[in-house]
Order: sequence, then C-alpha cells, then structure tokens
Amino acid sequence: MSSSALDAADGWHRLHPATPLFRGGVILIVVLGFVVGQLRDSLIQLFAGGLTGGADLPRNPQDPFDRWLLGNVALALGLLAALIVVVILFGWLSWRMHEYRVTDEIVEEREGVIRRKHRRARLDRIQGVDVVRPVVPRIFGAARLDIAVAGNDGNIRLAYLRSADADRLKSDLLLAAGRARLAERKQEDAALGVDSAHGDPRLPVSASAAGATPGVLDRRIQEFTAPEFDDRLAEPGSIVHMHPGRLIGATALDSVPTLLWFAVIIAVLGITARTALVLVTIVPLVIGLGSYFWRRVSRSLRYSIAATSGGIRIGFGLLSTTNETLPPGRIHAIEVTQPLLWRPFGWWRIRINRASTSQRNGAEGQRNTTILPVGTRDDVERVLALILPGEARDWWGGDYTTSPRRGAWFRWFSWRRNGFRIADDAVLLRKGALWRTLTIVPLARVQSVELWSGPLYRAARLRRVSVQTVNGVVRPSIGALDESDAARFWADAEARTLIALQ
Amino acid sequence: MAELATGSPARDDAPDDWRRVSPKYLWVDLVGRGLPWLVVAAALALVAWGASKDPDSRSLPILLWVASAAAIVILVLVLAWTPARVRSIGYRLREDDLVFRRGIMWRRIVAVPYGRMQLIDITRGPIARALGLAELKFVTAAAATGVVIPGLPEAEAEALRDRLVALAESRRAGL
Repeated sequence: MSSSALDAADGWHRLHPATPLFRGGVILIVVLGFVVGQLRDSLIQLFAGGLTGGADLPRNPQDPFDRWLLGNVALALGLLAALIVVVILFGWLSWRMHEYRVTDEIVEEREGVIRRKHRRARLDRIQGVDVVRPVVPRIFGAARLDIAVAGNDGNIRLAYLRSADADRLKSDLLLAAGRARLAERKQEDAALGVDSAHGDPRLPVSASAAGATPGVLDRRIQEFTAPEFDDRLAEPGSIVHMHPGRLIGATALDSVPTLLWFAVIIAVLGITARTALVLVTIVPLVIGLGSYFWRRVSRSLRYSIAATSGGIRIGFGLLSTTNETLPPGRIHAIEVTQPLLWRPFGWWRIRINRASTSQRNGAEGQRNTTILPVGTRDDVERVLALILPGEARDWWGGDYTTSPRRGAWFRWFSWRRNGFRIADDAVLLRKGALWRTLTIVPLARVQSVELWSGPLYRAARLRRVSVQTVNGVVRPSIGALDESDAARFWADAEARTLIALQ
Repeated sequence: MAELATGSPARDDAPDDWRRVSPKYLWVDLVGRGLPWLVVAAALALVAWGASKDPDSRSLPILLWVASAAAIVILVLVLAWTPARVRSIGYRLREDDLVFRRGIMWRRIVAVPYGRMQLIDITRGPIARALGLAELKFVTAAAATGVVIPGLPEAEAEALRDRLVALAESRRAGL
C-alpha cells in the first residue's frame, strides 16, 4: 500500500486513485441529480413505455425536447454515454498527470492536463505541515496534505493521499525540514521489514496484537477512530485537555455580542415591520447562526497539542480532522486574549502569526491562527512554555513599564495596565482592562520597530511603539506610552533584535 | 549600540547626521499632492459657474463656490507644508540597521535591521524621472514596515541599493 506512493523509481508519485471522485464527485452527483430530476417524467415514460409496448406513450408530446428524445433514443443514450466516458477519462487523465515528489531539498508538485502547473518548494522554507481529513475522504481512508511555505498562498496542497501515506510523508517532510536525512529514514524502514501487503508500522499496536491480518475495513476503522496516531515520532499525550463543555460554553459566551446585535436588529424589525417579514428574516438567521456555532465547536472538539521532535503538533476536529505540525521557530507573534465574558471562568485564547498565514478568513483562517481555542491560565502557561521554550517565567507580572497618568486620556480604563516589558528573548505587551491581551513577539522574529506620534499624542507627550512582524491576526503595538519610555523601548527593542539576529 | 541608548531619536534637534532627500523632490511632492486638490477646486468652480447661469438653482452655486474655496484653502495649506514635509524625510545607515523617519503632523520613525531585508525596489515616477530622481523601497517580511525613501538622485539610489544589498547579504537572517 505504501510502496506505490513512496518508492517509485524516479521519485514521482501519484495521489489516491479516488481523488477525482473526492474532488469532482460532489459536483458530478449534483449535476446528475439535477439532470435526473429534470428528465424524470420523460425517463419514466420512456422506460415504462418501452416495457408496456408503448401503450401509455403519447404519440405527439408537447415538449420539443421530449419529441426529439423519442425520435432518437439511441442517439441520446449514445451522447450521454460519451459524456460520461469523457468525464471519466478526464478525471483519470488529471489523476495520471497530478504527481508529486520529495527529494532531499525540495518538494515538487506538477498537475494539469491542458495547462500544466509546476510548483516546488524548498524543504527548509516549510512553515508547517497539516494533514486534513474531510469527512467523505476520511471514510475512504484518504487525507489531504497541506504544506505551508513562507509567503501568501504559496502552499502546496496534495489532495488526496492515502491516510497512512499522508502521515508518513508528513513526518518525512518534517524530518527533512529539520535537517534530518530522508535516507536514514528509508534505511530504518527497510530494517524494520515493512512489507507492502499490510505493513503500516504506524497503526496502533492493538491492530497487530489482535493477531489476524487487519482487513481493509478494520484498517479504515482504525484510521477513523485513531486519526491522531500519525507518527511514531510523536510523544503521545496532549498537554492540554479540552473539555467539550468548556468549549461549548466559551464559544457561546464569545457569540453573545453578535447575538445581541441580532437581537437589536430583530427587535427593530419587530417594531417597524409585520410579523411575516420578521419570521422571514429570523428563520435563515437562526439557521445560519446555528451552523456557524456548530462549525466552530465541532472544529475545535478533540483539540490536542503536543511537542514532537518535528515541532509542535496541533490536532483539531471531530468529523473532519486537521493535524498540523509547526516546526520550531516558525511562530512570529503570539497573542493571549480574554474576552470580557470569559473572565468569570478564567478562560483565555491563544492566537499566533505565522509566515504562511493565509489571507482567507473564517474557519479555514482560524485553523491556521488559533492554537488554543480556550484554556485556563494553567493551559496557557503550558502552551506558552511549549512555543517559547526556556525557563519558567512570569508572563503577567514582572516589571512592566506602564502608561503615565495622562495616558488615561487615551486609555480610560486600562492606563494602569497598558505597558511593555522586554524579556531575554521576547517583547511583551500587556493591554486592556476589559478585553485583556498579552502580546508576545520573539526578538529573533521582529522585522522592524516603529515609533509613532500624532498631533494629539504629542500634545500629551505620548508615543506609540509598534513591533512589526509578518502579517497576521496579531498586530503588536502599544500606544499611550510616555515619550521618553517609548523612545527607550524603541531603541532597546531594536538593539535586542539586532543581538538576537546574530 | 551606544548611540542607540543615548540620543532621543524622536526629537528633531538631535545632532543631525540624518541623510536628507534631494531638494528637487519638493517639486514631485508639490505636484503629487497639490494637483488633486487643484483639479477638485477647478471642477467645483466650473460646476458652480455653470449652475449660477441657471436661475432656478438658488443656494446651490453658493455652496459649490464655498466648497471650491475650501479646496483652494486645503491646496494652499498642503503647498505651504510641503517644504517642511520634504525636509522631514530622512534616513540613517547605522552599523546594523537602517533608520527611516518622515512626517510633521504624524511622525514615524522605523528601524529595520539589514538582515531583515527581503528585496529592494527602485521605482521612478514620471515627474521624478524628469528630475532624475528615484524612489527606493525597502521590503521586509512585514508589510507594516513601509520604508520608502523618495527623492534620491538616480545614481545615489543605485549606489544605496547596492550597498544595502551587500549589507543585507552579510547579515542574512532568514525570516
């Protein structure tokens, strides 16, 4: 099973044979359904008429298409068959032409029947590798491999691979990206005696301990129920345990402001318009909100985060699973936030900037940026310790330099809290009294440092400092600082960045 | 590093080792910022003049004249500030980083380590080209960096680019 994908002579491999079905299958089914629905009457008449010897068939139907169809049954069937053959042929061709290969230095992908496309990425530029399993391919034991490369949408997406191949390729890529050699891995495989019949060393031990050769169905069930068992390099065990209740509660609380807005809109509509109109508005709104809520919750269920030798591995998802690994040093900025309504429960969220952040919003983008959907203070400490290794430290306290008294003109509630601190290897910005935020930028990832002032700020002798990193959800900057503090911070941050760069 | 810690870079009265842009850049800035307002003022005046021919429109021409006058006032202000604005643009090549500043009302000072440079663009607009000037853009992985040094004489821009590329090469640091 793995031999087909990984050991071909020239290094080029094809994707999962069912790929055209997964990619185009849905559209094909929809189109077929539409056509069948439209022609249902004609078809029934056609076949029923054929069976009963044409007794029920009107001799001269009104519809010109029906008339033509009745006159040319053979031709119509032939055309349909030809269309189906062309579609299948095209799907097969596009599968044949879509290949990828991994060498010691690059990963390459080429595809396209009429327009050829060729992409390659250097292994040392890989920012992260995700294994994504949408529901339908997951049932068939297929997975998608997203290889994130620095730059906007410079990603390589291998859809779809066999599940086991995807996991193996992922660990290979991460090994290679971590300057390890592929050859070593292959020798190791040979030594382990991996045979292609049913050999999948990464299956849970229980499968082989059961004695019998696992059948296809067993393997599917194994893959479906244990998708996190993806590489033997993983040290098992998530350092954060996500309780479903906490996740649902946090998501619900997070949606309260949005719900309030909707309530206001509905109330206004209810006062000004008639009941029917309100119902027409509310029903789709409720459905939309419900599905949004469900997507957010189901996406984050079964969340796990763990340290592996290839980097930090984050798993997400209930039905469609995502399993991404961030190699070390690819996190450009970290933001720990606490929405107001989360405070009674002591919950926090962690989001990050990465060089490969996609510009897409919504669930897709969220997946790339949120590395802890909701967690307690302890969870946050553990995750931070994982992404910023080093000795344990106090992120929240310490000697933050805060805004002066006159900063209250610009930071009404938070001026006492609003401040910065330069640690050994990172800049820390603490903001917000109601919506609390802690922003951390590793000094080795700082791109530039900006000192800014507008007319009002200058009148109050205040400045703003921005620590600029790659684009993303986190925008590290802090305003309402005393001018001399800000100038000192600006110079210090730049000097420390230069030291960190050496 | 010593100079980093001492002088307050926010002040204009600091010891002046800032490099300025060419005085000729004044004309580029004048045209680039003045022309849009001039066009707006002229268009408003034209419409006002046309509207005043029409006896039915009572207060409309007056409003339009006022708007046109406002555009003229803004134009004059923009032009009056231009020399100071051009003088405010400056850059310094320090040992390991480039410091760029600009602005009078909204001042920003950015420090960019040479090692962070991804590429350097040189662009020449039509007016700048007529005056023999070029614009140098310092691109990092962060879009917010936004260091664009305008109004450099072409030869100087190219020399500066070569020097920056060499500096960046020697201090290469990846992302």
